[in-house]
Amino acid sequence: MLKIERLSAQIEGIEVLRHADLEMPQGSTIALIGRNGAGKTSLLRSIMGFMKITAGQVTLDGNSLAQVPPHRRPYLGIGYAPEDRRLYGAFTLEQNLRFPAEVMRLPETEITRRLERVYGVLPELKDMRERPAAGLSGGQGKMVALGRALMAGNRIILLDEPFQGLAPVLAIRYGTALRALRDADRDITLLITESNPSLLRAFADRIYVIERGEVSPLDSLPASSLDDAGLGKH
Amino acid sequence: MSLDIILLAMLDGLSYGAQVFLVAVGLSLIFGVLRIVNVAHGSFYAIGAYVAASLGIWIATAGWSPWLSYPAMLVAAILVGVIVGGLLEATLLRRIYGKEQVLQLLVTFAVFMILEDVQKVTWGVKPYFVNTPLSLLGTVNVLGINYSVYQLAVIPLVALCVLLGLRFILRYTRIGRIVTAVTEDREASMAMGVDSSRVYLFTFMAGAGLGQIEGAAVAALMIGLGRSIAVYLAPEFDVLMPYLIMFVVLLFKPQGLFSTLQTRKV
Repeated sequence: MLKIERLSAQIEGIEVLRHADLEMPQGSTIALIGRNGAGKTSLLRSIMGFMKITAGQVTLDGNSLAQVPPHRRPYLGIGYAPEDRRLYGAFTLEQNLRFPAEVMRLPETEITRRLERVYGVLPELKDMRERPAAGLSGGQGKMVALGRALMAGNRIILLDEPFQGLAPVLAIRYGTALRALRDADRDITLLITESNPSLLRAFADRIYVIERGEVSPLDSLPASSLDDAGLGKH
Repeated sequence: MSLDIILLAMLDGLSYGAQVFLVAVGLSLIFGVLRIVNVAHGSFYAIGAYVAASLGIWIATAGWSPWLSYPAMLVAAILVGVIVGGLLEATLLRRIYGKEQVLQLLVTFAVFMILEDVQKVTWGVKPYFVNTPLSLLGTVNVLGINYSVYQLAVIPLVALCVLLGLRFILRYTRIGRIVTAVTEDREASMAMGVDSSRVYLFTFMAGAGLGQIEGAAVAALMIGLGRSIAVYLAPEFDVLMPYLIMFVVLLFKPQGLFSTLQTRKV
């Protein structure tokens, strides 16, 4: 289980996370809801080791990740799909998918197994596998970014605003793919950030709200403060 | 203006362009991966040349076969890359990645000045003449013009091998794909298991090319031809020519000669 405990982090001296607490039990789907600039990306980046942590810690199965450099974290089974897709334009779709597995020197049989898993969840990618990633549409790119996170992460998947900018049809398709993924692998843990709460409400086991770097479970908040944050239950 | 002059200018341009390419491709790779404009890059070229010259003289005085001067040049390149490049990356540049560009410029400029004095202390200020590699291969007659084989064939051939070799490495090998990935997106690559500091060291030691290799090749050729044509037709523009070409390229293709990079859509 991944646990964030009293985590504070800074960017250029400004505190962007304040004593954040968040628990991700194995097999759960966690939604982290917040406006732009609330600290969603910073929280995911701290899990991946890219933030300057000033207090608190991130632990995996009880072990602190403080001493694990960013590039070793995928080896723990954590896959990360950053905001904005960030695919490699010079590679084909499948080269993008294979990349994290090749970097980690997984045996070819394991790479094939993981690729099949990705194509199982996102069958539309299989037909486009040879296409250059630079030529993919925004929505297709999001699917590839999800697939690439799945290639690295066999335990925990962090998705940063995956629904942002997706046309409604594609958003539904993306949600279906996530459900298929959970059905195929009951042990996989998902952390999904979103600025629009309605998209994940039906989907997540647990919802956290982040505002100005402070994280609170949704059900702990009074309705008035949710309305203030634009997250009212309607 | 006779045809001979044009032909001579073309040959000069090819040879000079190939030399410029070999320097530019290193600069281009280092900039592509590390995002640092290495002002001291010219010093690597100079030190490499001095080491090659010293090895050449050493081979001659020891009475060994003059043909050994070719592998000696390769050895010099590797020595300089690994020792000078490796030391510089590991001790100094590593501290300034991602810092302000002014700082990076100042630091690499300081390195350039230090290395220049190191050269003076080590090799003195008198020029070294080593023409064994040049004279061994003799000359070739191109449509009535005698031209040295080394300048016309060997240097462009080496440049071509470097170009094709790098393209192959970057496209078809694991390390090449990793270098390409870091160039495109350092943080995303680290999130997929890439130890970027090792890639940086490797890049700096290789000091040779990426991504914009085609750009470096064409630019070098443009500079080479432009300059040699200027030398024959309008000598007063000789020094100006590279800047003029740079100006025109920046005017029409500011994103790079072969870049497909687009401004980020919001």
